[in-house]
Amino acid sequence: MKSGKRQKQLGSLFVNGSLFLLTLVWTIPTMGIFVSSFRARDDIANSGWWKVLPYRDWQPVREIDPREAGLNPDEIMEIEGVAGTFDEFRAGIETPDGERITWIGNKRIGRLEVQERVWTVDWNFTLDNYKQVLGGQSFTFTRPDGTVQVVPGDNMSGAFLNSLSVAVPSTVIPILIAAFAAYAFAWMKFPGRRGMFIMIVALLVVPLQIALVPILRDYKALNLNGTFLAIWLAHTGFGLALATYLLYNYISTLPRDILESAFIDGASHFTVFTQLILPLSVPALASFAIFQFLWVWNDYLVALIFLGGNPEFELVTQRMAAIVGSRGSEWHLLTAGAFVSMALPLLVFFSMQRYFVRGLLAGSVKG
Amino acid sequence: MKTTRTIWSIATMILIASVVLAACGPAATPTAAPTEEMPEVGFAVMPGGALERAIKGEFTGTTVTVDGAFEGNDADGVKFAESMKAFEEATGITVNYIGNKEFEGSIAIRVGAGDAPDIVDFPQPGLFAGFVRSGNIVPVTEFISDAWLSQQYNPGWREFNTVDGVEAGVMHRYSGKSLVWYPKAAWDEAGYQIPETWDDLLALTQQIADDGDTAWCIGIESGAATGWPATDWTEDMMLRTTSLENYDAWVAGELPFNSPEVKKAIETWSEIWFNDAYVYGGRSSIVSTFFGDSPGPMFDNPPKCWLHRQANFITSFFPETAKYGVDYDFFYLPPVDPAYGKPFLVAGDLIAMFNDRPEVRALMEYFTTPQSVSGWLEGGGAIAAHQTATRDLYGSDLDWGVSQLVAGATSFRFDGSDLMPGEVGAGSFWEQITSYVAGSVELDAALQEIDATWPK
Repeated sequence: MKSGKRQKQLGSLFVNGSLFLLTLVWTIPTMGIFVSSFRARDDIANSGWWKVLPYRDWQPVREIDPREAGLNPDEIMEIEGVAGTFDEFRAGIETPDGERITWIGNKRIGRLEVQERVWTVDWNFTLDNYKQVLGGQSFTFTRPDGTVQVVPGDNMSGAFLNSLSVAVPSTVIPILIAAFAAYAFAWMKFPGRRGMFIMIVALLVVPLQIALVPILRDYKALNLNGTFLAIWLAHTGFGLALATYLLYNYISTLPRDILESAFIDGASHFTVFTQLILPLSVPALASFAIFQFLWVWNDYLVALIFLGGNPEFELVTQRMAAIVGSRGSEWHLLTAGAFVSMALPLLVFFSMQRYFVRGLLAGSVKG
Repeated sequence: MKTTRTIWSIATMILIASVVLAACGPAATPTAAPTEEMPEVGFAVMPGGALERAIKGEFTGTTVTVDGAFEGNDADGVKFAESMKAFEEATGITVNYIGNKEFEGSIAIRVGAGDAPDIVDFPQPGLFAGFVRSGNIVPVTEFISDAWLSQQYNPGWREFNTVDGVEAGVMHRYSGKSLVWYPKAAWDEAGYQIPETWDDLLALTQQIADDGDTAWCIGIESGAATGWPATDWTEDMMLRTTSLENYDAWVAGELPFNSPEVKKAIETWSEIWFNDAYVYGGRSSIVSTFFGDSPGPMFDNPPKCWLHRQANFITSFFPETAKYGVDYDFFYLPPVDPAYGKPFLVAGDLIAMFNDRPEVRALMEYFTTPQSVSGWLEGGGAIAAHQTATRDLYGSDLDWGVSQLVAGATSFRFDGSDLMPGEVGAGSFWEQITSYVAGSVELDAALQEIDATWPK
C-alpha cells in the first residue's frame, strides 16, 4: 500500500520533472533572444546573453606598466613572485595568493594586469532596441553647409495597422467559406461530392509558390495588384483547402441525431447550419482561426508579391526585413522586433483560448 | 449561444473596420501651373533636355516609379528619398520608390508580366546586362548627349554601363573595395607604419605576429552568400598579379578559373589566410565568422587584430562609439606587382530606364548629377560615381578620402563576381571558395568545379 503510494509520487515527480526539463530546453532560445533584446549591440557582439547570470571572472585589480617595471617580453620575466615567458603571461599566471597576472595586448603596447577572481554579472540593460523598433530608427545627414540633420525613420504603427488589415479579413473570409463547404461535404448529398472532396484534400499538398506567377498575371489583368483585396483573396485561396478539410473532420463527427431532429422540426439547411453547426463547431473554428491568423501574420512572401514593396502597405514582416538594413548591420534590432511582432499573435491566442474550453463544454453538455 | 453571437459581431466589426481602413488611400496632390522661366536649382542641368522642361513645370503632378534592391524605408531607402528631394522640389514630379530585398527575383516577374517600373536601380551589372540584351532598357544615349555624359563621368565609369557597345544606363554610386582598415589610436601608439608595397604588408603582418598578436581579422560567413569576401580578395589579387586584359577575360568567362593566373591570385591571399599566426582565430574560424562581426576584435582595447580588408560600407558594422580618424582609419591595399600599377576594385549601383516618358527622362538626367547621390554623400555609405562631385557635397572626410583614393588609382575594375553569370558569381564561386578556405577541397578541384558550372 505504502510502496504503491510512493511509486505514484515517484511517477508524478518523473512526469513533472521531465515536463519541466523539456519546457526549459524549449524556452531557452526564446529566453536568450528576450535577454538580448534588452542589450546594446556592442554588448551582444562581445558576450553571450547568459552573462546576465552571475558568473566567476577575473577582474583587474591594478595595472603594472611592464616598461616601468623593466621587463623585456622577449626574455623570461619575473614579477610579483612569479616568472614566465611572454606567452605564459598572456595566458595568465596565478600567484600563490590566488591572484592572476596577465599580459594584456601585444609586446609593444601591452600592460600587465593583476586580476582577482570575483563573482560578477553584466547588467547593462537598455530599452534602445525597442525604441528603435517601435519609434523608428534615426538617420543622420551632414548637409553641405555643415549642419547636421537627423531624419526619423518609419515607426511600427503603420506596419501594425497594415498587418491587421491583412490578417483579420484573411482569417475571417476563408473560415466562413470553409464552414459552408465543410457542412455541405459532411451533411448534404449531391453528385460529385466524393470527387470534389478528394480534390480538396489533394490541393493540400500543392505548394502555394507555384501559383504566384499565374495569379500575379491575372491580378495584373484585373488591375488588382497592390490592393488589400488582392491579398485577402490570395490568402483565402491558399488557406481554403486546409480550412475545409479541418472543419469537415470536425463537423462530420457531430451527432447525427441532433441534425435529424432539427430536420424533422422543419429546419432548412441554412437554419441548421447557422443555429446548430456554427455554435457547435466554435472550438474547431477557433483553432483554425489561430492557425490562419498566425500564418497570415507571419507571412512575408505572399504579401511581398501581391502588395509589392510599397512602404505605404508595409506589413510587420516586411518592416522586420527592412529594419536590419541592406547588409544586415542592424541585426541586433531583430531581437526586439521579434517580441514586438509576437505580441499580437500571443494576445489572439490567449484571448481565444477561453473559447476553446467554452466551446467544448457547449458541444458536450447541451448537445 | 450569446457568446458566439458576440464573437461574430466583434469579428464582423473588425472586418468592416479593416475594410474601411484599407480604403483610406492617400489623397491626390494638387498641381501647380507651369511657368516659363527656369528657376534656380541646386544641381547642374543638361541644356535642352527633359529635365530643363521639367524644372519649368511642364510635368508637375506626374509620378515616376523606381525599383531597386533596398527596402523603401531602411537606411538606403531613407538616403534615396533624401537624394530625390531636390528633384521633386524643383520639378513637382513625384518619385515613387517600390523596391525591396527580393528585387532580383521580382524584377524579372514584373518585366515579364509587362509591369516594368519606369527606372531601375541595379546593384549588379550582370542582371542589368540581361535586360539590355533583351531590349527592355531604353539606352541613355538616345536622350542624353555624349558631351554631357563625358562632362559628368570619367570614361572608365561609362564602360560599366556599356553592354555590347550600347551605353544603356548611368553609374550612380559605388563603394571602394581595395581598402584596409586599422585601429588608428593603438596603431600610432605601437608605431606601425602604413605599408606601401605587398612586401611591406607581409613584413608588417610578420612584425605584428612577432609582437604577439594576429594581424588580420577575416570572416566570410554571410548566410546564403557565405564566401563573398573571399571572392573580393580574389578579384583584388587578380588586379594586382595579372593584367587588366586577363581580369576582363576572366570575368567574361574566357579565362577559366583553373588557369595559372587565377590560381596565383588565390594563392597570394592564401599565404596570409592560411597562416594561423596571421589570422585572428586561425584559418578554421574564417568560414564561421560573420563578415560584419569580423572587424570587432580590432576595437578591443588593446586590439586583438590590426588589419581588415573590406569595402567602405563596413563602417556601419563598427562599434557605435568608434570614430573615423581617431579610433580607425584606412589605407589602400598595396599593389603586389608594380607592373600592374595601382588598381582599385569597386562595386556599385547603376540606373537604367525601362519606360520612355518625358518625366522619366528628366529623372534619368537628374541621376547624372552628384546631387542625386546626396543622401548617401551626406549620410555616409556610398560615393558618387560622378567626376563633378566636390568635397562640400560629402558629409564626412571618410567617404571623400575613399573617393580621392579611387581618383588616384591607375585603373579600376568592377567587382568581378557581380559581373559573372549568377550561377557562378553568386553561386559556385562563393561555395567552392568557402570549401577551399574551410580546407575540405583542394584549390585545383575547387577551381575545376567552378569552371564546370559556367553556363555554356
